[in-house]
Amino acid sequence: MTFLSDVWYVAWRELVKFFRAKVRVVVTLIQPLLWLGLMGNVLEGFTKSPYVQQMLGTSSYLSFMTPGIILMTVLFGGVFSGLSIVWDRRIGYLEKLMAVPISRGAIPLGKMLAAAIQGGIQVLVIILIATAFGVRFAAGPLGVLLILLVAMFFSSILSGFSLALAVRVKTQETLMAVVNFLTMPLMFTSNALFPREAMPGWLAAIAKVNPVTHAVAPIRELTLRGWDWGAMYPGIAVTVGLALAIGIWAQWTFRRATAE
Amino acid sequence: MNNAIEVENLIKVYKNGVRAVDGVSFSVHEREIFGFLGPNGAGKSTTIKCVIGLLRPTSGTIRVLGADTGQDPGVVKRNIGYAAQETAVDDRLTGWENLYLQGRFYHLPRAEIRRRGEEVLKLFGLWERRNDVAGTYSGGMLKRLDIACALIHRPRILFLDEPTLGLDVQTRKTIWEYIEMLRGEHGMTIFLTTHYMEEADALSDRVAIIDRGKIVALDRPGALKAGIGWDLITVRFSTDGGELGGLLSALLALPEVREVRETEDGIYRIAVERNGDRLIPRIVRLAEARGIGIHSIRLKRPTLNDVYLHYTGREIREAEGSREELIRSRVMARRIRR
Ligand SMILES: Nc1ncnc2c1ncn2[C@@H]1O[C@H](COP(=O)(O)OP(=O)(O)O)[C@@H](O)[C@H]1O
Ligand SMILES: [Mg+2]
Repeated sequence: MTFLSDVWYVAWRELVKFFRAKVRVVVTLIQPLLWLGLMGNVLEGFTKSPYVQQMLGTSSYLSFMTPGIILMTVLFGGVFSGLSIVWDRRIGYLEKLMAVPISRGAIPLGKMLAAAIQGGIQVLVIILIATAFGVRFAAGPLGVLLILLVAMFFSSILSGFSLALAVRVKTQETLMAVVNFLTMPLMFTSNALFPREAMPGWLAAIAKVNPVTHAVAPIRELTLRGWDWGAMYPGIAVTVGLALAIGIWAQWTFRRATAE
Repeated sequence: MNNAIEVENLIKVYKNGVRAVDGVSFSVHEREIFGFLGPNGAGKSTTIKCVIGLLRPTSGTIRVLGADTGQDPGVVKRNIGYAAQETAVDDRLTGWENLYLQGRFYHLPRAEIRRRGEEVLKLFGLWERRNDVAGTYSGGMLKRLDIACALIHRPRILFLDEPTLGLDVQTRKTIWEYIEMLRGEHGMTIFLTTHYMEEADALSDRVAIIDRGKIVALDRPGALKAGIGWDLITVRFSTDGGELGGLLSALLALPEVREVRETEDGIYRIAVERNGDRLIPRIVRLAEARGIGIHSIRLKRPTLNDVYLHYTGREIREAEGSREELIRSRVMARRIRR
């Protein structure tokens, strides 16, 4: 029980600061509006072709793209989670966390939880905006809830990775460099924004193993078609499994690296 | 008397090969204010971090309230409070939020945090500003908030690493008063490090002088200073030197006097073996008997600085100013970034 409380209060600290930084809140809400509004409209024309419609599995590019935007948003949010560790180390707060009787593993888990909650809020906003633009989520309100959960687990994969990395890295610049090096390729070698059928063979092969592709599958299923567990469970299993594994790894790096 | 802390043969070698603590042994009694005095880089912070379990010692044994820091880190952590050398306050949280979070990390119930929090914030003069973001606090307020956070769970031992570093004289005095009150009213054991000798002198029951990772002396400040074995009496005569010869040899003949030396024209420094105060009337009488006038007379007792000099051959203040400026500018930079 105290472990859960420790995790929650590590997260609480991040969330209080998140909501206090009003500009940050506004930006995180406007960003999906831009993505959906711009990209969705620009590319809408190309779904007129029946061939493309067949590839996308829908006649609305916006509906196809919304799951991709959801994942892209939590991905970019999650990867920055590690920055807070670098910052905490610099101001001595990390040492303070080491000196109090909390479990060290609660530190990365708390920060992952905070990133997941922030991501969840963004996802809700995206879903609202998408609905306003005419996207209909086939699986209904419960489906939206499941989308939210999958997105939050996906966020934890990225935040856990970034946090584990941040334990070793001493400067924000280094962390940013590594993280940027990974995120863009991760996004664009997946089928989040473009269907795999439209990719050249080598890219489609990469896309097949990309975790973003796995996470997008159940979300797209729920958005375009509705409830089909058979189509969803591999993606859900991979996403949740990866999130758990990375959560354990992040805890392990914290326990180890801090007992100098 | 029970020992709150027992350290035997502590050695800490960092990964880069720096031997920061090199065979240190000491014990701290319960309800004692124990001072760790030494220049920058002496190994004070490293020692604290080993004692409270933030660093793993290379070798040596450490017991805190009877528990082994390596084996029972939880017991140690729950019973101590620690305010690091660098003030670790989250400046985007309010003073109250900082304190509340700390209470939560010690698993205190909400009502208890509210009660204790109000008490310590009022004690430290921060209650009115509790709902302001800590980034708006002055350096002294941040330090006080940091110490308040370390007190929220009523620790039995409080570790303060250079609690007044870079603070102005007024704030420093206030913090000294808090420290004395914590020991006096709450019976807390306090382990504090400092490189200000006046601080060690004014606060500590006992002082360990640490230099290059080794304790070179450990005793009550008075005993340490007495151990130096001399007081200096500086006399300025108002008569010119012609008739002084007789007086000077009479002074040298006194058993307590070790040396008489003229420093400037008409100013003499007399080194005596302790209790210089009692010698002053005799010096005055001897001078009067010879019709020699005394313009002024001054007694200088050894300070901890002299003690430090005595044991290490160096001044404790060497190259210290630059570092304080560095720390100040860092605090400033942090503010500006907000
Ligand atoms: N994390 C570290 N890694 C390597 N060397 C260190 C580290 N921390 C301190 N040192 C070195 O250990 C010595 C003692 O440092 P410290 O304990 O901070 O001294 P003090 O607190 O008395 O100023 C110094 O030479 C310092 O440079
Ligand atoms: Mg230090």
